[in-house]
Amino acid sequence: MTLALEILATVIMLTVALGIYRIERGPTGTDRMLSAMLFGTSGVALTLVLGELTGLHGLRDMALVFALLGALTAVAFVKRAWGADD
Amino acid sequence: MPWQTVIDVITYALFAASGFFFLAGSVGLVRFPDVYTRLHALTKSDNLGLGLASTGLALQSGSWIVAAKLLLIWMIVIVAGATACYLVANSARNSGIEPWTGGDR
Amino acid sequence: MSETPTTITPRERLRRLPGRAVGMLLVWFVVTEADIPSLVIGVPIALAAATLSVALQPRSLSGVYLPGAIRFARFFAVNSVLGGIDVAFRALGPRMRLAPAIVHYPLRISGSFPRVFFANTISMLPGTLSSRLTDDTVEVHVLDCTRPVIEDLAKVEERVADLFGAQLSPHEGGGVL
Repeated sequence: MTLALEILATVIMLTVALGIYRIERGPTGTDRMLSAMLFGTSGVALTLVLGELTGLHGLRDMALVFALLGALTAVAFVKRAWGADD
Repeated sequence: MPWQTVIDVITYALFAASGFFFLAGSVGLVRFPDVYTRLHALTKSDNLGLGLASTGLALQSGSWIVAAKLLLIWMIVIVAGATACYLVANSARNSGIEPWTGGDR
Repeated sequence: MSETPTTITPRERLRRLPGRAVGMLLVWFVVTEADIPSLVIGVPIALAAATLSVALQPRSLSGVYLPGAIRFARFFAVNSVLGGIDVAFRALGPRMRLAPAIVHYPLRISGSFPRVFFANTISMLPGTLSSRLTDDTVEVHVLDCTRPVIEDLAKVEERVADLFGAQLSPHEGGGVL
């Protein structure tokens, strides 16, 4: 099971790398925001997988906080985007 | 076959599927032509990937309360993801980003 | 049947308090992974959270109809998996089959919460993504406009209405822009 968890963690890291490519390319701020949303979901998954891998079950609480913060990032982005346009 | 082996095999399958959807979501994020299509890839694939990984982890924990907590985390991510998706799509529409409708890439 | 009242009486707020408190306590119990000693803090906090949530609620939320909720959960589970598979194969295919379009769907469902819920549900289902919600329509970005999108959306709307125990009038149709 350890190996399976390690492979899954690696694959999730790979998705983060692809997200960084999108940040680099853009072209709009909204495209870059998509990568931040990807990191939110991947971050939750990665934290849960690493928690199981290391036996640090407190990481589940960290994943919960990441999940809650995910909602706020989008709200913050949209507020800022509108503020810049107006 | 012992019970734990059955659980493990199911977990492996769930993890493999989870990795597949995470990768597919990011490939969509890289390959799709505009913000809206990329948003499709992101919201649907990644949430499914997280759900499959959580289900596998819940099976491995063998505890109802941990399974419930993982389900709670997943539900928060779904609700947050759907709302974030709407906000981002809406702000893209309002700032006049035209949807891609075919043609050159 | 599902008309949302714009005001909510103090008596009605009080009536909602016990259920809300039990719900909050359940969340605490799950989040702390059934840690009994933590209930010393958890019970007062759950009560405070329930009181605050009931006091701040701007208007009455549409009630959920349980058999409809179960049908909705099953429908949502199956279709969100199909949504993931659909977009995954479009992303990974050698020639990405994309025919995006913006579709305007006239809303039949009433009440602000059911409408927002409907718009959010659309985003999780195969090939559709809500991008604007107005008083009478929802604007949807679709990945593949060759599919019967309006019919699909009408089915989703019926499921959401069922969840809130509401009936929908027959549909007059919408259009691709």
